[in-house]
Amino acid sequence: MKNLLVVFAISALSLLILSFTGTNNQTIATNPGNDVSFEIPDDVQAIINNSCYVCHSDESSSTTSKMKLNFDKLPEMKVGKQVGKLIKISNAVKEGAMPKENFIEKYPDKKLSIEDSNKLTSWAEELANKLGGE
Amino acid sequence: MKKAIYLIIALLIVVQFIPAYLPEVSYDNPKDMLTNNPNITDDVKMILKNSCYNCHSNETNYPWYARVIPISFLVSHDIKDGREELNFSHWENYKKIEKAGILDDISGSVSNGEMPKKIYTLIHRNASLSDAEKKIIVNWADEFAESLFE
Repeated sequence: MKNLLVVFAISALSLLILSFTGTNNQTIATNPGNDVSFEIPDDVQAIINNSCYVCHSDESSSTTSKMKLNFDKLPEMKVGKQVGKLIKISNAVKEGAMPKENFIEKYPDKKLSIEDSNKLTSWAEELANKLGGE
Repeated sequence: MKKAIYLIIALLIVVQFIPAYLPEVSYDNPKDMLTNNPNITDDVKMILKNSCYNCHSNETNYPWYARVIPISFLVSHDIKDGREELNFSHWENYKKIEKAGILDDISGSVSNGEMPKKIYTLIHRNASLSDAEKKIIVNWADEFAESLFE
């Protein structure tokens, strides 16, 4: 009888613990990205500084480019915006739409090498997925 | 000169017998954004249906002249492009991160007047957006994007 009670108590306790961890996991799952910080590794930052920053930063004189994407504002944006911008960065670079052709003609050294463009797109995609909780 | 004009007119008439290819229309779209997101408010829904859905969904409403060659070429090309870029009828097929990118596109292109396209609103006058309507769409798109990650 005593044994049965012990078994019962243990299973009740473990059920209780399990249910707690269960809800805990769920809260994490429904709040993706909250604990992921917006980080740009140095090598990616160097690529951005060289090939994107002239138009897409606070220092840019092009209001249109700045409105579409401003790397200086990106870290402060809400997560939905960040994910959106990141996936668009990746798409634009992959399609070769960015950096713009006329810009590259003027500043050939700002052209992205295949290696750099891969580095930039994988960073953007990975961070988008992390922030999006996937 | 007169002869040449007659010839062109005759040619245009003959060419009409070639069936015009226009992207297919479907009203049965189980992955549609509005169907799957009933909390999208009526004002947003109305604007999307009225100003965006003609090119960015399978629910295209072709006017009679859309079937007239060579207008059909232009219409067909634009609708195909529009649906490829964004098709609200396939919304639930997009990944969450893609949705965020599209919603940022919507927000940006509507606020800077890129969308709806000038060539479209020139003919479809009632599709052009007032400043108040633009604001409704921009706010909705931004909020909807955030809600995906809550």
